[in-house]
Amino acid sequence: MNVTTLTDQYLRERLSKGTRDDGRDLFSFRNISIEIGKIPHAEGSAEVTFGNTKVLAGIKLDVGEPMRDKPDEGSMMTGAELLPLAHHTFDSGPPSPDAVELARVVDRGIRAANMIDVKKLFIEEGKSWNVFVDLYILNYDGNLFDSSALAAAAALYNARMPKYEEGKVVREGELGKLPIGNLSTSCTYAKIGNSILLDTNASEEIFADARITIANDEQFVRAMQKGLSGAFKAGEVDMLVEKTFEKSKDLRKMVQSTRGE
Amino acid sequence: MRRLVLPGDIIAEKPLRLDHTIVEEGKTCSTVIGIFDEEKNSFIPLEGLWYPTPGEKIIGIVEEAKLNTDLIDINAPYKGLIISKFSETSLAGGDIIEATVKELDKTGTIILSRPRVLFGGKVLVIKPSKVPRLLGKQDTMIRQIIEKTKSSISVGMNGLVWIKGGDSDMATKAILRIQDESHVPGLTERISQMLEGKE
Amino acid sequence: MEKPTLITNGKRLDGRDQNTLRPIKISVNPVKNAAGSAYIEWGNNKIVSAVYGPREALPKHTQDPDKAVIKCRYTMAPFSSLEEHGRPGMNRRAIEISKVTKEVFENVILRDLFPGNEISIFVEVLQSDGGTRAAGITCASVALAASGIPMRDMPYAVSVGKAEDTLILDLDKIEDNYSSADMPIAINPRTQEINLLQMDGELTPDDVHRGIEMVIKAGEVITKAQREALLAPYEMTSEKYKASI
Repeated sequence: MNVTTLTDQYLRERLSKGTRDDGRDLFSFRNISIEIGKIPHAEGSAEVTFGNTKVLAGIKLDVGEPMRDKPDEGSMMTGAELLPLAHHTFDSGPPSPDAVELARVVDRGIRAANMIDVKKLFIEEGKSWNVFVDLYILNYDGNLFDSSALAAAAALYNARMPKYEEGKVVREGELGKLPIGNLSTSCTYAKIGNSILLDTNASEEIFADARITIANDEQFVRAMQKGLSGAFKAGEVDMLVEKTFEKSKDLRKMVQSTRGE
Repeated sequence: MRRLVLPGDIIAEKPLRLDHTIVEEGKTCSTVIGIFDEEKNSFIPLEGLWYPTPGEKIIGIVEEAKLNTDLIDINAPYKGLIISKFSETSLAGGDIIEATVKELDKTGTIILSRPRVLFGGKVLVIKPSKVPRLLGKQDTMIRQIIEKTKSSISVGMNGLVWIKGGDSDMATKAILRIQDESHVPGLTERISQMLEGKE
Repeated sequence: MEKPTLITNGKRLDGRDQNTLRPIKISVNPVKNAAGSAYIEWGNNKIVSAVYGPREALPKHTQDPDKAVIKCRYTMAPFSSLEEHGRPGMNRRAIEISKVTKEVFENVILRDLFPGNEISIFVEVLQSDGGTRAAGITCASVALAASGIPMRDMPYAVSVGKAEDTLILDLDKIEDNYSSADMPIAINPRTQEINLLQMDGELTPDDVHRGIEMVIKAGEVITKAQREALLAPYEMTSEKYKASI
């Protein structure tokens, strides 16, 4: 059982007044924290919390073959684990469709924004760096999309770049940073009745009719995903895209500040 | 003397009959985190599960309403069960109810009686071990919260608390604070300060 | 890599002597959704453990009408090692460790109280540096105590091994890779019963005897870390408690 169970009636009453059970207005994020470098064994890591939602992102780099269609670039792969320890409804076993969707949406945000400068990950003919982004959900209280995207961004932004010397990967010692292009983050909104709200917690998320994730960097929308069985109107999407550019400034600032920028 | 003890700690060199303890090789050991009071021969668990006793009030959420029985999620090891022929209230999935523990059957199912549907509002889950503190001596603590916030509140011994109307945000804050600080002396005073808006 | 000399002049590679544990730090309830949880940093190991239940055992055929069934899942994050990216989820090693961990807790949880139920114990290794099963058991023990699930004892575990003809306590990754023996052991501290025992390599009967003694001795330090973590939320008041009566 979640810590709070709202009734439909209670939630709608509150939303119609423009407030939420935890005291936020409709377009506010919960308290967000970022902790960098929690897993020194990984090339990069970041633990992000959105309220009680907790996500750990870990970055690993290995030497492998480039993708066949991109022989002069490095590659990247994103995985997400909805760990059964994070919520009573998460099962052990192969990744659920929810976990696969989460990984793919976060992956698209990173890839489309060229967050990793993959051209610089080419080593030699037939060899390039593969970047593994793994998202570990440690406690679920809603909005895994934005918390995971932020954790991935912060982990990549601070990741070490291992060296490849005489056929061996050197992961320790004097290392540079993973080459980063644009910084991309996401904002996810849920539609409940006639209200639209940002960053839902678990007790709100149950009532969501429709969901939309918008990932962007400073200039462009980079990835979007509508989810659940409800729908959005064109005007609502316009409004939310605009909102996302406004909201994402703070998210990018938070990531930049982890490097003291 | 009162002492904080942990699972496995020997609390007495002789066998004692106390809840939350076991006797092994003639010695009494605690099985959970708790406070053992040697003089009063009492053991208060600080973390723990709810063990139902007939007559207790609970709050539950209807999981499945069937023709003859209703299954109730009461956030406990066992499901609550309401046998429809003994009840005049008809229930639907998702309803929040208040009910009384009637008996525990052999399979561990908890038979509930006298269900009452609570409309609207929300349910907060707190640790069952903290419920007595939330109620207070002769219900003084919870009465204070209801009086000051003008919320309707119903507390289940299973740790589910239903809140509706009034300053439900303040009521929520007070309840969660009692859960977190139940063991810190001077709690009643701090909560009343909080409800008066003096913090 | 060539086998390094693991002990020189009585000192191990990281400066410890044969009987010294790595630093252990434990905190409680990092996973808010769980009935109880704990986080342990043991040397460079970082592990989170969470407990759910007792709850109805599902699927139903896993139920035991007389007592609770214990389910355990030990896994390692793909980014947990200093080497290459690992595969997420369960492999044969993880399945075995999950099983022996489960059996440790079957021994101490008062299962008779919850027939038909399951208690799930999750151990997630976020960073690994040797001895993760022992650290995981030590951590899960704290998570269970924090959940209020009744136990007759609070197990801890640590590994003992042999390198350069010397018994060494609490092997890290390099020692684990190059030692001549490794013997992880879990102990119920009150009764000093051995609750988990595995071993591979080469030990004399006397080594086994002395190894177990070292592990029992190490219990003082490990259980102290467990107890401090569990009492921390109540600590500031334990003195006041006495004063207030």
